[in-house]
Amino acid sequence: MAEEKSTSDCSCNADKVVNIRLMNIICYVKHFARLVAFFVFLATGCAHSPVQTASTVSAGDVSSPPQVTEVVSASLTSPAEIPDKPENKSNGDEEYPDDIKDEQTATIADPLEPFNRAMYHFNDKLYFWMLKPVAQGYSSVVPEPARVSVKNFFSNLGFPIRFLSCLLQADFRGASTELGRFGINTIWGIGGLMDPAANKELDLQKQDTDLGLTLASYGVGHGFYIVWPVLGPSSPRDSVDIIGESFLYPVSYINPWYYWLSVRSSEVVNATSLRIGDYESLQKAAIDPYVAFRDAYIQYRLKKVKGRNQSPEKAKPQDK
Amino acid sequence: MFQGTSAAAGLFGPLQTVSRDAGGLNTAIGYWYHEDKIKNGSEYIIRQNEVYSQVSYGGNSRWEIYGRIGVADLKIFDAFSSTNAATNISSSSDFTENWKFFGTLGAKGFLPINKILGIGTFFQGTYYFNNFTGDAAGTNAGAPFTADLKVHNMWDVNFGIGFQATVPYGIKLYAGPYIYYSEAKACLSANIPGIGFGRENVLLKNKTIAGGFIGTDIPLAKGFHLNIEGQYSERFSVGAAISYTY
Repeated sequence: MAEEKSTSDCSCNADKVVNIRLMNIICYVKHFARLVAFFVFLATGCAHSPVQTASTVSAGDVSSPPQVTEVVSASLTSPAEIPDKPENKSNGDEEYPDDIKDEQTATIADPLEPFNRAMYHFNDKLYFWMLKPVAQGYSSVVPEPARVSVKNFFSNLGFPIRFLSCLLQADFRGASTELGRFGINTIWGIGGLMDPAANKELDLQKQDTDLGLTLASYGVGHGFYIVWPVLGPSSPRDSVDIIGESFLYPVSYINPWYYWLSVRSSEVVNATSLRIGDYESLQKAAIDPYVAFRDAYIQYRLKKVKGRNQSPEKAKPQDK
Repeated sequence: MFQGTSAAAGLFGPLQTVSRDAGGLNTAIGYWYHEDKIKNGSEYIIRQNEVYSQVSYGGNSRWEIYGRIGVADLKIFDAFSSTNAATNISSSSDFTENWKFFGTLGAKGFLPINKILGIGTFFQGTYYFNNFTGDAAGTNAGAPFTADLKVHNMWDVNFGIGFQATVPYGIKLYAGPYIYYSEAKACLSANIPGIGFGRENVLLKNKTIAGGFIGTDIPLAKGFHLNIEGQYSERFSVGAAISYTY
């Protein structure tokens, strides 16, 4: 009897030890990833400007040698944003809006292209083989309003990152908007499940910012292109946001690790379920999806940087 | 000896829903201070503070259903007072317990008589998910003792009717009578002579079954409303809530 008890105690202890070791390993991996990202950022990220006008390669060009630092060009204006003004088309030059005539190029170096391509394919398979089927199953069970509420809930939890980013950018109006949004959505939005703050009457819109954009506002360039496994496209500068998130996103503090993993997975599956098809359509339209996603990423980030740096008044003339 | 308790009902709210006519949600956060006096052999005063979040759905300015989730404390004055000279209580004679979760479900209907006046009715029930526990310590015939009082399965139901008047600026004034029933079970971890609880469960009920309520709902800016309400049964209770209409 005593032997049985001691055996069960032993197995219990062994389980605990395994759990503790697993938690330690995850902690080490987390810290290691933060350190690597930090050093990569220090070593390379600061040197680059967010906008370069150096030699450019078109989005569809895939023949550039990967060992050479590659500069990718992308138009800042997507076709969807081009305003339709048929009355102004008097000659060939005026067929295109001013935005296109004054085309600026968004570029990003890609010295890690072989690694990035491998990670892109890994993420692609992860999406098609695991994430998409799970998200499809989830969306067939959970109605869209409920999924939007879950998305709102996690978005509300991201308040500390946005609030701190606004403060660090000296955007006090944005910070107060975020604070107001958080208070209203938490109290009257049932813990953030709903978003009354964004309603017409209150009009407190979410501040689309993060720590990467904060660094950009200080003039830090994005550095080179990097595709993180699972997390997707990024740059050394924008990877700072991944580190910041591990400190400022409340979900990061969930213990034990398997609860944290479950919550994070639910968040990702829920978010994916709301945009199934976006990835596929962009991928289908591209000759080389890797390059297309790289362009899309840098366009997207540069647009955000411009959006943060320009006040609405300044932005208006460009939006004509 | 101790024969009754009464749970905090919380605000009943305006009889007419504040949701949009086409049907919609409104949410609220509220605070309720509740006192009641129980008299059955001896008199006891019960006190609760309640903080809650509410979500409601209503439409046509006629009906509404709502649910609340919140926390409440509980204080029963002189719950551990002894009637036996040999029993001395060294700890506080009051039963005190901090925040415990509760949930409330309710429904209300409203019938306008004209543009200003209307008559409404409501039904509301509350259940406390957690037990309330409190300690008593002292000596009995010189021998020290400690005992825990557990108040569990606490719930209440309320039903009322009332009149409402809508005055300028959309301010609603409402008042009416209500009836209620609440009960809980209580047991002490030891039989202590002179204390009105034992190891067997004692059924606790409210003494008075009727009361009156009066309140106002004031529209604030940007879809917010302030609701202030008072209720009187054995003692006066008061609370306020701020709601937001989607």
